[in-house]
Amino acid sequence: MAHIIKILEGFSFIPRKEQTVLEALEHQQVEIDFQCREGFCGSCQATLIDGEVSYTTEPIAFIPEGKILTCCCKPESDLVIELAFGCKVKSS
Amino acid sequence: MTYTTFNQEQFNATKEPMFFGHHVNVSRYDVQKYAVFEKLIEKQLSFFWRPEEVDLSTDRRDFAALPDHEKHIFLSNLKYQTLLDSVQGRSPNVALLPIVSLPELETWIETWAFSETIHSRSYTHIIRNIVNEPSVIFDDIVTNEAITKRARDITRYYDALIEGVSLYHRLGEGQHTINGETVNVSLRDLKRKLYLTIVSVNVLEAIRFYVSFACSFAFAERSTMEGNAKIIKLIARDEALHLNGTQHMLHLMADGKDDPEMAEVARELKDQARQIFIDAAEQEKDWADYLFRDGSMIGLNRDILGQYVEYITNQRMVSAGFEPAFATKQNPLPWMNSWLNSDNVQVAPQEVEVSSYLVGQIDNEVQSEDFSNFSL
Repeated sequence: MAHIIKILEGFSFIPRKEQTVLEALEHQQVEIDFQCREGFCGSCQATLIDGEVSYTTEPIAFIPEGKILTCCCKPESDLVIELAFGCKVKSS
Repeated sequence: MTYTTFNQEQFNATKEPMFFGHHVNVSRYDVQKYAVFEKLIEKQLSFFWRPEEVDLSTDRRDFAALPDHEKHIFLSNLKYQTLLDSVQGRSPNVALLPIVSLPELETWIETWAFSETIHSRSYTHIIRNIVNEPSVIFDDIVTNEAITKRARDITRYYDALIEGVSLYHRLGEGQHTINGETVNVSLRDLKRKLYLTIVSVNVLEAIRFYVSFACSFAFAERSTMEGNAKIIKLIARDEALHLNGTQHMLHLMADGKDDPEMAEVARELKDQARQIFIDAAEQEKDWADYLFRDGSMIGLNRDILGQYVEYITNQRMVSAGFEPAFATKQNPLPWMNSWLNSDNVQVAPQEVEVSSYLVGQIDNEVQSEDFSNFSL
């Protein structure tokens, strides 16, 4: 079943099933930092307000309570997430 | 409390705190208190690379064609990077190995410092390639005031910890008179020194290094000095891992389950630790003044680099569990992401290492449903 990702103070969308949360956000042209894309640098953190995710690989980076590492997780339910510096969409 | 290289006491290493417990005896990794350090080691080993793998032949020509003020930016940045890795190649070993109590953490510290020595070797590789007389550059690192001014703050926490630990090992806790001077040695005080050291190391790797990376990538963004940028990409991938090592340590300390006294220390020193981040950011901005004293370059100037310093400092403060200090919320250098992206550190996989390709990583758990899509 398709899950909906809602970005707080932004918009909602339905990600493609095979995408990680980071890939889904990039697909929507949302600006988000990343570096390693495999769970060890911790750059792509987002706050998980509501919902559940599962990790495709076990992250090495420290993830504080209430945060998710978007590069290596997929939605398991509808998600509400908050990006550290707001929801900005790339202008191009 | 003398240090011993092979502690013969019988104890359960998984019950020890990270630091200041029993000295490690057997380097065993079958049981671990914190599996994350073992994972960091595995990851770092899978990253192994050598500077000679990267072709720098066009950089010599590129460098000769740079205007003087850009040569100054490039070389100063390289000198600073050399300083940072000189410190990081030895200090974790000297400062932390004598007090570490977990085998996996001990080995992580050694693996971590070793990878920094590869970085140092890279700088020699780069410098040897672009100038005829490398000594001029290396010698300036210890005499250049703009560099030594910052070196003081980078090294003083390490030095204080190393001195304190050596007194502790030699004399134990209590009041002692050394060369006519009275010194107080207490474990509590050493833990304070350790906490501040880990904070300053995190600042070094997570902020100072990234500011220098921004300068290196700014050249490559204009299609010049690209060999250098390729090396810096490999270094950035390592540093991303290292900075997580210290973040994990800081969180484990503050959490208190590892060592309750360490959590008290972390609470006491919260403001001081936060100030280390802020001071480092200010020093990095001063450094930007020095870099661009003779002029800016296309795509990067003092103001933009200053904004990046604030942006990255905020990010790192949040990751390490502190309130952010600056108002800047937007990344002024959006192209940094694609340069930092470690998944594309190399273009031709047959020529070099691909980070996601781990040797010996075979999945043996194959279930019958894995073949459900197959039909004969």
